[in-house]
Amino acid sequence: MEIKTTGVAGTLESSDIQIMISKGTDGIQIDLDSEVAKAYGDQIKKVITDTLKKYGLDNVKVKATDKGALDCVIEARTLAAAQRATETSDKPELGVL
Amino acid sequence: MTYVKNRLRRTMMFVPGNNPAMIKDAGIYGADSIMLDLEDAVSITEKDAARMLVYNAIKTVDFGGAEIVVRINGQDTPFYDEDVKAMVKAGVDVIRLPKTESAAMIQKLVKDMEKAEEEYGVKKDSIGVMAAIESAKGVLNAPEIATSTPLMMGLAVSGEDYTADMHTHRYPDGRELEFARNMVLQAARAADVYAFDTVFSNMNDTDGFYRETKYIYELGYDGKSLVNPRQIPMVNKVFNPSKDEIENAKAVENAIREAKAKGSGVISMNGKMVDKPVVAKATRVLETAKASNLIDEEGNYIGE
Amino acid sequence: MDKVVDLYLNDSSTRRKWKHFLEKLGLNNFSSREIDVIDHTLGLVDDAGNLVGTGSIAGNVLKYIGVCNEGAQPGARFNKIVTALQQYIFNQRIFHSFVFTKTKYSKSFQHLGFNELAHTEQAAFLESGTPDVNAFLDTIPKVKGQKNKKVAAIVMNANPFTLGHRHLIELASQENDLVYVFVVATNASLFNTDERMKLVQAGTADLKNVFVVSGGDYMVSRATFPAYFLKSPDDLVATQTQIDANVFKNIIAPRLFINSRYIGTEPFSRTTSFYNQSLIQVLEPSIKVVLVPRFEVNGQVITATKVRQLIKDDNLLAIQKLVPSTTMDFIKNNKEILQDRIKKGMNIDGN
Repeated sequence: MEIKTTGVAGTLESSDIQIMISKGTDGIQIDLDSEVAKAYGDQIKKVITDTLKKYGLDNVKVKATDKGALDCVIEARTLAAAQRATETSDKPELGVL
Repeated sequence: MTYVKNRLRRTMMFVPGNNPAMIKDAGIYGADSIMLDLEDAVSITEKDAARMLVYNAIKTVDFGGAEIVVRINGQDTPFYDEDVKAMVKAGVDVIRLPKTESAAMIQKLVKDMEKAEEEYGVKKDSIGVMAAIESAKGVLNAPEIATSTPLMMGLAVSGEDYTADMHTHRYPDGRELEFARNMVLQAARAADVYAFDTVFSNMNDTDGFYRETKYIYELGYDGKSLVNPRQIPMVNKVFNPSKDEIENAKAVENAIREAKAKGSGVISMNGKMVDKPVVAKATRVLETAKASNLIDEEGNYIGE
Repeated sequence: MDKVVDLYLNDSSTRRKWKHFLEKLGLNNFSSREIDVIDHTLGLVDDAGNLVGTGSIAGNVLKYIGVCNEGAQPGARFNKIVTALQQYIFNQRIFHSFVFTKTKYSKSFQHLGFNELAHTEQAAFLESGTPDVNAFLDTIPKVKGQKNKKVAAIVMNANPFTLGHRHLIELASQENDLVYVFVVATNASLFNTDERMKLVQAGTADLKNVFVVSGGDYMVSRATFPAYFLKSPDDLVATQTQIDANVFKNIIAPRLFINSRYIGTEPFSRTTSFYNQSLIQVLEPSIKVVLVPRFEVNGQVITATKVRQLIKDDNLLAIQKLVPSTTMDFIKNNKEILQDRIKKGMNIDGN
């Protein structure tokens, strides 16, 4: 699976998370901006990483702006952004979630 | 999957499908049904993201025992097919089809659901369907729509789109919805399915809201579609049975109990036969009373 | 609930409502310089139909963002309109955006994931998305052991590249181990960005320690610096200069180990001399500012402005002694195109 463009999903509204995915060359790199980064930063990054790995992407640059999203929201937004980046949004891979 | 044909559905709260904040809190307001919307509340460019969010939410969020309905996109849109597959896989309770105009449309939906159920190993007939009536055609075909499938849970009037189709718009007195409201209700009753009235969107007009809710309750509607949680207790108040109705319902229950104990096949009360509609009504009344805390576990009246 | 709507400013009554709303929030610069660049405007409308928020987008720059917080949770409307604007540009495949705004709103934007690049008392400059300034700096060529070298920087518009520019670069090249020539990227010049870059590269090809790079989105040209939010349009020059200088000093210079900046003195343009003074104020002492007297030929200072005027006057002969042969050849071969641009209204008096 190839990243063809930058993919963004999610908003900056409360309880959401905005995930921006672009091509990377050095594994899964996550730049996380979250008010609860200290307490939950690792957990948030893990959820994003697991979702991307399950989907099948190994080299991506992720910019994540978290506004207090639950894990199920992080997963959904990450998958949506990833599929937009690979231009496969018309075939949702729900098995990843 | 908790779909049951018969349950309390006084309030059906609309929740925009692309809004995590509203989705995660939807279960705390005490709505009987929650309708997650993939259609009008979601912009075209967000349909894919909303679908994934709703799918995941259904699988993980605690909605407090409310029934989960999803309004998918219309059959004439490119989003319909994936919406059906996703919602079946998620295990939703009811799928609501917008712009329903014929029995054929519902039957196509049911077929598409069956295919998805097979693909994902979901138990057959574990998901119900609902038809939103939004046009003149839909209204006139309501009877055939209501009887189109045994999985039909109910019909709903969609005021905004219907009035646009009728070349008018919503007015405070509601006259423009008279025919549609009555026709949809008739069709629902004749088919023994539920009937839901349309949303009332002016949050500042409490009197207007009560007026409309009382009116549709009087007509016989089972429930109302809502866009704001503040409306939930208001609807429940209108739908509360009176003390007399509750007493009467309890009497019916007692009559049934006694007849059973005596081994009698015919149940009578106050000299009249207690037949199915009477039993059904009594059950509804007591169910509603219990939900509104008007009677306690033993059935004793505790309301004001 | 508030709804997001599209606002079409070319409709006079919409425009009036929009202006009125922003005026109440203290914004009152609606000059055509600021408005003509707007691609799209969004509005936030409450249940009663009142305009309670708005934001516009010009290319990848957000501007005219204003909200009225009466009857709403603090921050909610701002969040909604900025989110909606971002969704709009994402749909245009624009994933990197900027905002110039009053400093007091910087924190609000930062709360929405924007990264502040610089601020002054009046103005803040922020970016969001990808590729960001770090990605930009990653693309700039570096040499081994750069940390310990003498590295100079020159920022120029080079519209077009003249012997004056060459002189400045040559000097820096002689006095330093490495020179970065940043070419301001803006297409509001007679010679467009691509053309100017190529001429600078061609004119310095023999200088092995000179790297010619684009300033990207990070060296803001005065022509495009938004002024809509400033108290007075006269504050534009000072504000733009300070923002520019701060970005250079705090973000660009440290990453590239730049220790000095070379600028040509400006005998004619008050604006440029003022700019130079501000630059010195901001950059020193961390970065040494080296003022180099303008290159003269026959007692005449060489300026790009003069060259552009001569193109307009069709006096190519006089240009010959002002520019290197590489620039001259380009002008000769593209004379008609350039003169056509001037005829079509391209401003040649600015930078």
